[in-house]
Amino acid sequence: MSFQQRNITVSLVTFILILGLYMTRVFQLLQSDGFTPTNIFRLWGITIILSIVATIILTILAHIGSAVFQVIKTGDENPKIEDIQDERDKLIDLRGTRVTYVASSLGVLAAMLTFVFGQPPLVMFSLLVFFGLLAQIIGDISRLMLYRRGF
Amino acid sequence: MGKSSISNNIRKLRFFHNEMTQQQLAEKVGVTRQTIIAMEQDKYSPSLELAFRIARIFNVPLEEVFSYEAKEDGK
Repeated sequence: MSFQQRNITVSLVTFILILGLYMTRVFQLLQSDGFTPTNIFRLWGITIILSIVATIILTILAHIGSAVFQVIKTGDENPKIEDIQDERDKLIDLRGTRVTYVASSLGVLAAMLTFVFGQPPLVMFSLLVFFGLLAQIIGDISRLMLYRRGF
Repeated sequence: MGKSSISNNIRKLRFFHNEMTQQQLAEKVGVTRQTIIAMEQDKYSPSLELAFRIARIFNVPLEEVFSYEAKEDGK
């Protein structure tokens, strides 16, 4: 597994965990009658900040982990990590980003449809974050698939 | 997706050039070893620039490294 693939895997696991936490919290709010604008927008903020901070920290940890793994594997004190992004990595990243945008756009459309069915705006805002996180996960999965299957 | 219609002789050419390793070739052409592996397994078709760089490393024309086989539907 290359450095880029490890990074994507880390991102995938991070966003699955964040989505899990987000969904758990939303269901808790729904059951406790706490599904109010204050709580939902607070959850919005926490989710977005958590996504950014977790991605940065876990990327750094993945880099350190790769270096440690290389030291153990090769016994070299100054391990060489292939962290350059070549043309194939850039192409896969672009295709993955396209998948993320398509999934995200469909998610926004689905969230907007809740208005058609007479749901309150809070439902739409909750679904926007849900589909945003889901789009990121789908994008990461498509990147990993492109690495494994080729194109 | 999957196998591309462009195949190559990179593995064979590496062997005939003092058994050059994938890592050595990757460093010479400026890509990762993973990309060389993907090309050898016909899972990635390189850009024209990279294809020329690889051919230059082996001192052979492009056609000796890569070959194109048209699919039945003409794509």
